[in-house]
Amino acid sequence: MGKEDVAAKKRRKLTSNSSASESSKQGPTDVYKRVVEFEEAEAQLRSAEKDAHLFKKICQDIRQIFAEIAELKTKDTDEAKEKINSKRVEASLHLVALKKLNRLEKVRTRAGRDALHKEKQRVDSTHLHLQNLLYEADHLNKEVTKCLQFKSKDEEIELVSLEDFYRDAPAEVSRPDITKSDEHQLQLARLEWELRQRRELAGACNELVASKERVAAAIAAARSRLDALSPHLRDVLKATKPLQECLALRLDEKRDEARIASLLPPPLFLLYANASAYSDALGSKIVTVAISGDEDEARRLEQQSNVDSELVASNDSDSDQENNDEDQREKKKRHHRSSKISKEEKAEAKKKEIFRKHPLHVQVSVIAQDGTSLNLIFSYLLNLKIIVVKFTVSLSKPVTGVSAADVLNGHCILNELYPSDTGNDSPHPATAYLLKAAGICEKFPHFIPEIGRPYIWAQRMCGLDFMATIMDDQKSMKVVQPCPTLSVTTVENFILTLKKRLKSRVELMKELQDLESGKILPAKGTSWPIRLSGSLTQWQSVGWPEYIQSPSTAFLISEGLVNSNDMLYRAIITRQSAKLVALVALRSDYPKKAPIFSLTLHWNGTHHAGINDDLRDIERVINTDWGTDDGKLPTLSTQMTKLLTYLDILLETTGSSEFPPDKVMFNPVRGRNRIKPYKFIKQGTGVFVQF
Amino acid sequence: MLNKILYNTVLCQTFSPCGKYLVAGNIYGQLAVFDLDRILNPIVELLTSDYNQPKQIHTLDSGHQICSLASTEKFLIVGSVNLIYGWDWKGVLGVKLSKPSWVIKIPSQSSLEQIDVNSLWISDDEGKLYAGCGDNKLYVFNLEDGQQALVMSEHTDYIHSVHGKNDQLVSAGEDGNVFLWDVRTGKSHNKLEPHSNSKVSRPDIGKWVGSAALGDDWIVCGGGPRLALWHLRSLDAVTVFDIPDHGIHVSYFHDDCIVAGGTAKHLYQLNYSGEVKVELPVSATTVYSAVLRTSPNKVLAIAGSSPEIDLCTSFNYRDQILHFR
Repeated sequence: MGKEDVAAKKRRKLTSNSSASESSKQGPTDVYKRVVEFEEAEAQLRSAEKDAHLFKKICQDIRQIFAEIAELKTKDTDEAKEKINSKRVEASLHLVALKKLNRLEKVRTRAGRDALHKEKQRVDSTHLHLQNLLYEADHLNKEVTKCLQFKSKDEEIELVSLEDFYRDAPAEVSRPDITKSDEHQLQLARLEWELRQRRELAGACNELVASKERVAAAIAAARSRLDALSPHLRDVLKATKPLQECLALRLDEKRDEARIASLLPPPLFLLYANASAYSDALGSKIVTVAISGDEDEARRLEQQSNVDSELVASNDSDSDQENNDEDQREKKKRHHRSSKISKEEKAEAKKKEIFRKHPLHVQVSVIAQDGTSLNLIFSYLLNLKIIVVKFTVSLSKPVTGVSAADVLNGHCILNELYPSDTGNDSPHPATAYLLKAAGICEKFPHFIPEIGRPYIWAQRMCGLDFMATIMDDQKSMKVVQPCPTLSVTTVENFILTLKKRLKSRVELMKELQDLESGKILPAKGTSWPIRLSGSLTQWQSVGWPEYIQSPSTAFLISEGLVNSNDMLYRAIITRQSAKLVALVALRSDYPKKAPIFSLTLHWNGTHHAGINDDLRDIERVINTDWGTDDGKLPTLSTQMTKLLTYLDILLETTGSSEFPPDKVMFNPVRGRNRIKPYKFIKQGTGVFVQF
Repeated sequence: MLNKILYNTVLCQTFSPCGKYLVAGNIYGQLAVFDLDRILNPIVELLTSDYNQPKQIHTLDSGHQICSLASTEKFLIVGSVNLIYGWDWKGVLGVKLSKPSWVIKIPSQSSLEQIDVNSLWISDDEGKLYAGCGDNKLYVFNLEDGQQALVMSEHTDYIHSVHGKNDQLVSAGEDGNVFLWDVRTGKSHNKLEPHSNSKVSRPDIGKWVGSAALGDDWIVCGGGPRLALWHLRSLDAVTVFDIPDHGIHVSYFHDDCIVAGGTAKHLYQLNYSGEVKVELPVSATTVYSAVLRTSPNKVLAIAGSSPEIDLCTSFNYRDQILHFR
């Protein structure tokens, strides 16, 4: 039943709708529009709160109606049904009202939303406008500061000070009445004054340059006149030559030498000057001095160094720049070259450069009495700044005997001329750094055979004292200046020392010659009264490796008494089946230091001082001054004579029938150490005692 | 010329009675005094490079070699040539050597004759000093007054060593004989001739006997002949020691051991059956003196023909080297 009611209602509605659609058929858009407009206007007019209240009220009514319907339904009477129907209509009407209210609310919401949107857009555009304005302002600010910071060229110009300007400048330029108040005008005035002054100065400069050129021309003219004079002078000199020859004057040669000497590097010049002075004073029989080498090369070198020094002297910023440019250019060049030249060649060139010698050398020859002379060639290493010495020996007579000749040969003769001066390493402390800087990894001694030996005495003769530079170590790299007084004292000392050395070496050579031929000459003046039964069968020089191989020398080497710089010999003495091998070490300053003997006896086994006291005793009496009364230093020959005697005593005291006693002795052995009588007393025919 | 001290030969050593000092005498007539306290218990902070050098080196006025040394509570006794000196210990330990407290002169026939006092031995209970000398005689002096008590002369060559124990005295000489002496009469009652025993003799080295020492029932002696242990009553060579030496100069008993040294690379400690117990390497070419002491420190000092003196505190290995130079 209820359904029917609803259907009827629907139908009614449909009819109303259809009537509405009929009317809308006449002007459908208009009607629709009108409805919409009307409702929008209505929505505007009505207040939202009131509608809300209305809505709530209607809802309440509908609820109430539903409750009443529910109550009526429980009664289930016809009357109730009737009532229900009416109620139903009432409720439907309420629903229509609700719908209307809802629609109105929707319209209102949309209207509000539209309004909000519009407002938002307006705000956005305003904000954008503000941004633009801010940016513009900023840009303008920047422009302003840029303008404020602008620097004019005139600020760089150095101007005379304000007081000078007002004092010196004429009034028409300075215009004090205006400029005192107006800063800008003042600046303009000062600039004007500056310009005027500079023009004047430029004019003065030009004038001076012109006058300088005039003077230079005058000088050139005078010089050409002088030059024209020199051939005349030369002719005059040539004309004097026959006269000089006639009078045996060596004026020309000396002049030549003096001229070359001026090209010598300072250290060599000092040496030359002092050595030639010494030679003049003491006669050229002892010492002669000469200069050798390539004179032209030396001249070129000097010019070059002059140019260098001038460059250094003109200490302008421009030249610095030039140098830099040059460096860069050089670097570039090197870069180009390096691709072509192999590394080894480069290293070789570098080596050559660092060991470059000055083209001139000084030759000093020292001549001993018998005509043996020693030629020393002093050269100056330009880059390492040290003196190196090469030498040759010329003998008056040929030397027979191998070991004897060695004594006068080569390095041996100059070795340790002064204590511990072996010439094996550079005395200049900076050498190692220089070598390293040049990229040469070998140590200096490696190059000695090639360039010569840098003896300390050689440096001192040339006035170079590296000890002084070592002393103040902060400046150890500073350039060592030749000291003339040092050179003077050293030259004399050296020549005397070398002469002494030469003399002793010549004597030693004779001694060695005799020894090599098996002769032992008694020392001068004293004759050894004892008959010697043993004989020297061999004398020859030995090398250091051979020397250290022998067990008998271990003690001497460990005590540092013998080193590889000494001259080493082996003597073999035999008597019947006994063989005594003596290794003899001569210090380079023999005869100042006595020879050192090291003995090995081959008889009934092998004996040496390390395992046999008898040989140790013999070494003691030969090597030390114990048991000898005279304070004289023994010579090699006397030592050898003693050695032969002691060998006889040792063998004869063994009691072996092979060696019949021949010497007179009180006791063949004495003391707990069973020492043999090695001390000779001149008593009757001579007696040997222990102490 | 080299310094003669490089060829130094130390013939004798002795300890001071307190055991703190070692005194060594060499052929140049020098006495070196080593401060053992400083050497064995060094204070590290005060250690200098010369700590192993003598505290003092004294030189005898005569310059004669120092052949033997002995020490008593009061005196250091020095046997040199022709003379035996007695120094108060204080005088020796000072910076300068004082005058000797007493001097005994060995009576000699001629002024030229030089008599080495090769060996000294002190008999504490008798208060006597026995001196084996270079004139083949064994002198006995009273320590009390320095008077000569006896002369024993049966050796035919100089005496190398003297040693005694329990009223017995043994001496060894260059003549190759070892005499056993009766101390009271001054006569020998027995003698050994090692060089005539084929087991022991070494003719290539010689017949001399460098050292002989007495034990309770034994004599140990050696020299040119091999080192051997002889029975005191039967006088038989019971053990012949096989050690690679070229002459014995030191041999004595210590703690059931025999200590022996000479021309060899080692100093040996042997037991009675002939086994080598310890080989001590030595610096000297020939060992002439090896003295030991057990209190206050265990010390064995070995010296000979070398400027070095080897010092052992354990008797088993060389732990320090002193320099007499």
